[in-house]
Amino acid sequence: MASRLLWASRAASYLRISVFHRGFSSVIKDLKYADSHEWVKVDGNSATIGITDHAQDHLGDVVYVELPEVGVTVKQDASFGAVESVKATSDVNSPVSGKVVEVNEELSSSPALVNSSPYEDGWIIKVEMDNAGELKKLMDADQYTKFCEEEDSKH
Amino acid sequence: MKVPRSLQIWRLGIVNYSDALKLQEKLVSDRKIHKISDTLLSLQHPPTYTLGKRRTDHNLLISEAELKKLGAELHYTQRGGDITFHGPHQAILYPIISLRDIGLGARNYVEKLESTMIEIASLYGVKACPGQKGETGIWVGDRKIGAIGVRIQYGITSHGLAFNIDPDLNYFKHIVPCGIADKDVTSLRRETGNGIYEAVEKPAPHVTYSKEHQCHQVFHLF
Repeated sequence: MASRLLWASRAASYLRISVFHRGFSSVIKDLKYADSHEWVKVDGNSATIGITDHAQDHLGDVVYVELPEVGVTVKQDASFGAVESVKATSDVNSPVSGKVVEVNEELSSSPALVNSSPYEDGWIIKVEMDNAGELKKLMDADQYTKFCEEEDSKH
Repeated sequence: MKVPRSLQIWRLGIVNYSDALKLQEKLVSDRKIHKISDTLLSLQHPPTYTLGKRRTDHNLLISEAELKKLGAELHYTQRGGDITFHGPHQAILYPIISLRDIGLGARNYVEKLESTMIEIASLYGVKACPGQKGETGIWVGDRKIGAIGVRIQYGITSHGLAFNIDPDLNYFKHIVPCGIADKDVTSLRRETGNGIYEAVEKPAPHVTYSKEHQCHQVFHLF
């Protein structure tokens, strides 16, 4: 019963918006977003990080994910790894500073999870934050949605 | 709303791979802090084999020692894509541009690189097209004439495209080009049977590229 309620509330928190020439790019309500299109889910001092639906759509099919080692330090706005798609490697930046405590090993054998499940199974790293105040620099779902619309209208 | 942007084009002649890499790294840093505008490098390399971030060196069919005997170098890079060969009479374009400023993603950018090469090929009467899914690059039938490998940092591109005008195609025999085993490599020369072109130094690729981005051109002789 409890897990069904949890599923229902998670489903209800999905905010789907329509980006005019791109079709659907979903944005999740309770996450925070960086302007380089990474999301972060905060749970106490723990941060789970991945790339957004908008990002995976603009990248194309991901064929390789370069993961950092557990234990390395990451800094807000600095690159910690990369994804490869359509012969392009794109850096992935960390929205927060801290220490990497876990990486999603599944991505080594199934990099396409980044495309099919960018907010769930396609998560990339988990970080122990060293400065929760940095979260203030990030966007919320509404701000990020608007940011994407503005960026897409540039061309 | 389109703000006029400028593109600086540097025509460099033949440049060692390491030197071109160092130059690109500097330009990416400068572009990041808005010290320079979007920049396009047009050049050729001496015989050079390169690998991408995935380090797919199982696609190199000879040892590094044998490769050096051929007069070639080997470089491991951070770009996307598999193994490839660069050499004289292969036109290389390395655009250092801010995709973020124009709201372009990797996929659209690579598609524009592909259509640039397709347009160049058609200027010489060669009908080329993009590859099938997962085979980025451009093809004439099942022969590859243009390759792409890109790196994007801070939303800024480096590396780019390599278009076979008339390189020595024998060098490709020592690799599985781009990791695709059963397809040939070709060149503008092979497809048209004509002599060696000055096309490598002609402005045509730059004009085509600029049209794709609706930029105002600024030529800068390096």
